[in-house]
Amino acid sequence: MPEKGIDGRKGAAKPFVEVPNERAVAELGERKAQLAELEKAGDAKEQIEKLKREIKWLGRHQKGMAMVMQELPDRRPTYLLKRGDYQHPDKSVAIPPDLPGVFKTGKEAPSDRLGLARWIARAENPLTARVTVNRLWQHHFGTGIVRTAEDFGTRGDPPSHPELLDWLATEFVRLGWDLKAMHRLIVTSATFRQASRFETNVASKDPMNRLLARGPRMRLSGAAIRDQALLVAGLLSERQGGQAVKPYQPAGLWEELSFGNGKTTIDFYEQDHGENLYRRTFYTFWKRTVAPPQLAIFDGGGREACRVRGDTTNTPMQALNLQNDVTFVEAARHLAQRMMREGGTTDADRISFAWRLVMGRMPGREESEVLVHAAGRHREKYADANEETIKLLGNGESSRDDSLPPHEHAALTVVALTILNLDEAITLE
Amino acid sequence: MPDLGRRQFLLKSATGMGAAALASMLGTSSFAASDGGLSGVPHFAPKAKRVIFLFQSGGPSQMDLFDPKPQMEAYFDKDIPDSVRMGQRITTMTSGQKRFPIAPSMFKFQQYGQSGQWFSELLPHTATIADKLCVVKSMVTQAINHDPGMTFFQTGSQISGRPSIGSWVSYGLGKGNMDLPSFVAMTSRGKGGVQPLADRLWGSGFLPTTHQGVKFRGSSDPVLYLNDPPGISRATKRTMLDDLDTLNRKRLDAVGDPEIATRIAQYELAFRMQASVPELMNISGEPQHILDLYGPDVTKPGTYASQCLLARRLVERGVRFVQLFHIGWDQHANLPADIGGQCRDTDQPSASLIKDLEARGLLDETLVVWGGEFGRTTYCQGDFKPDKYGRDHHPRCFSIWMAGGGIKPGISYGGTDDFSYNITENPVEVHDLHATMLHLLGIDHKRLTFRVQGRDFRLTDVHGRAVQALMA
Repeated sequence: MPEKGIDGRKGAAKPFVEVPNERAVAELGERKAQLAELEKAGDAKEQIEKLKREIKWLGRHQKGMAMVMQELPDRRPTYLLKRGDYQHPDKSVAIPPDLPGVFKTGKEAPSDRLGLARWIARAENPLTARVTVNRLWQHHFGTGIVRTAEDFGTRGDPPSHPELLDWLATEFVRLGWDLKAMHRLIVTSATFRQASRFETNVASKDPMNRLLARGPRMRLSGAAIRDQALLVAGLLSERQGGQAVKPYQPAGLWEELSFGNGKTTIDFYEQDHGENLYRRTFYTFWKRTVAPPQLAIFDGGGREACRVRGDTTNTPMQALNLQNDVTFVEAARHLAQRMMREGGTTDADRISFAWRLVMGRMPGREESEVLVHAAGRHREKYADANEETIKLLGNGESSRDDSLPPHEHAALTVVALTILNLDEAITLE
Repeated sequence: MPDLGRRQFLLKSATGMGAAALASMLGTSSFAASDGGLSGVPHFAPKAKRVIFLFQSGGPSQMDLFDPKPQMEAYFDKDIPDSVRMGQRITTMTSGQKRFPIAPSMFKFQQYGQSGQWFSELLPHTATIADKLCVVKSMVTQAINHDPGMTFFQTGSQISGRPSIGSWVSYGLGKGNMDLPSFVAMTSRGKGGVQPLADRLWGSGFLPTTHQGVKFRGSSDPVLYLNDPPGISRATKRTMLDDLDTLNRKRLDAVGDPEIATRIAQYELAFRMQASVPELMNISGEPQHILDLYGPDVTKPGTYASQCLLARRLVERGVRFVQLFHIGWDQHANLPADIGGQCRDTDQPSASLIKDLEARGLLDETLVVWGGEFGRTTYCQGDFKPDKYGRDHHPRCFSIWMAGGGIKPGISYGGTDDFSYNITENPVEVHDLHATMLHLLGIDHKRLTFRVQGRDFRLTDVHGRAVQALMA
């Protein structure tokens, strides 16, 4: 297969092979059809120009690329670096590339990356399946059966439930390495479905719940918190694939740290509009030197080094983000709109509707009363033509249903924002 | 519950609803524990309680500012002797040059104060605090380019991913105040020689995110998401917060997770920050003579001068670690023109910060560090004229200064050769600087560790020694 990118830039360019970009090809077809229709109709000049630009772009992107690596026909000699210093190789003996003895699989494996890959994937190797199911367990329970999910070696923790780990690992292999099946197995287990309540006598003996006497209770990731808010608001775009997007972000964050000379496109954050504001967080553009702020605040890490396990912190910055970021205020505005259109006619019904959407349960009587009372209080503050009302309903770029009375919409927006800020709303129980 | 104004709320806070009190009322210590630092730290009596790190991003030229080399005059426009360069690594920006002509500094040096410290005419204000400074002329780093250089200076590793020094200090010592973060970073920008920064420079790496530096910005929203959204007044926010409090407590009763108590406390802290941060940023109460001290830029948000004043206001309020970055010292092409601007931006505010801290009795407990990621070359990069020369990156020796919190004042430490190219005595590695800074804070750099990926990591990795000669 022809490889590209190896020769240029003194070998610094990444080697890749071209692969067809099926999505771009499909979109190109769609756009061309749209263009033909518009041109037949003869107006909508701006739209036609936009489509032409998109077609041009898609035309250039009908092929994607996949990064590849292959061994050189003649291997370069490799030397031991004295005290690890790349400027001081010990050239007296060249060291042939090889796998450590424990990795060797015997007859079939060449001593290179392919050999290592085969060792990782071979059936007799229990580690790959164990490590994988442990990470799935960590995903659902907050802590893996082996707490040090990144380290199954001598410095890692021993598993809390070794037999369970092995059973899950063998099930994983038996089920054909089917991740979805493993997720289902874990979340339908009696262990996962236990209540999350901390019983005092148990919590004092096992505060970290390593023995799993209760179900998990853990804060969602920053991405999940945002996705959930967009989903309950009815804003979330469910489109898959495509380029990374640039949703709302406070102005100036990139500019403050960049070259700032305007010569590089990466100097300035050009926020997207429309649907791209509401794509899943998975698609958010990640600039490594300036991480997306909401994700950084919610322990998203810098993506500077590989991390398979992070801490979950609880900080005032998170409280500020959820209360004041336009993303969440706009989501609250739309959740309030749904409460009014789909949630019945009384405050209590509308609050139950939103509560159930967010928490997955109905509110208790006292919980409902607190918010019904709140709705009444907020309603007094937000009169229809009030400046505050107009400002509140102007949060975010999406439009609102103008048939809804503004004061009512504003009051319920504050109620919805309250719900989105509850500990339970951002916590998996 | 009736609406509460801010005044009433603060009154209420003062009578027992503060975050810590709330946490203890709710029967959890997690808030206190997460803010209290590690048990057993400090390891010994600290000299300094807090740090202000005035980072000069880009690499200030040591031989135009601190390290006079009159011997270079005799080599004007002559190539650097091989005996000096010794074939050492240089950057690809100058490795293609046919010549490496020595470019003597065009700036005049003079001795100042009883200590007789040398400063060039570019630093008239710094010269007035000569007797308070410890100037280290023998700093050495491993990195030759900006990003690895700054990353090394801030995290102890050229490869990104490690916690920054401020987050290590926050992790070890905990918070020193109730209403503000423990670690604050600010960036400002000069006119020339711009190099980008990255938020990893104040990141927490593998330490919990609680310890990451909070960036304070020159904009109207000084901390991200600090301002209430349009259409939500303080009074509305307060009632919303009261409702959150009531509902979160109900959940706490129901499931008993102490994290909920922490969340309640953090929402209260966030609400207080919405008052305390603007109060901090508002310098209108500063007397005119203080504003004059820092110079004319002090009233412009986002300038180095304004951030030096904010640094003082932050440490006054107990913030542990204040990290400034001033961008613009990367003077490859026309150093004489550009360095003047950088010095105008930074000389007066840096010196005034020291004077201001001293006048308030804060200097004894505040360690102030001034320096960049490396120095600059003795030879010229690009076109060479007596009054127009550029200098490339130079990691093998450069100058920084320190003052306050346990630092020996009025001394110059270490020495370089006639070209300020190689160190002739007492090299100080970046790891040594880190070890010394931690030592002054009462931390043994070998004992402040965090286990991740199978081993204990520390800021100084497997290196570093606290340099006793720099300490009072």
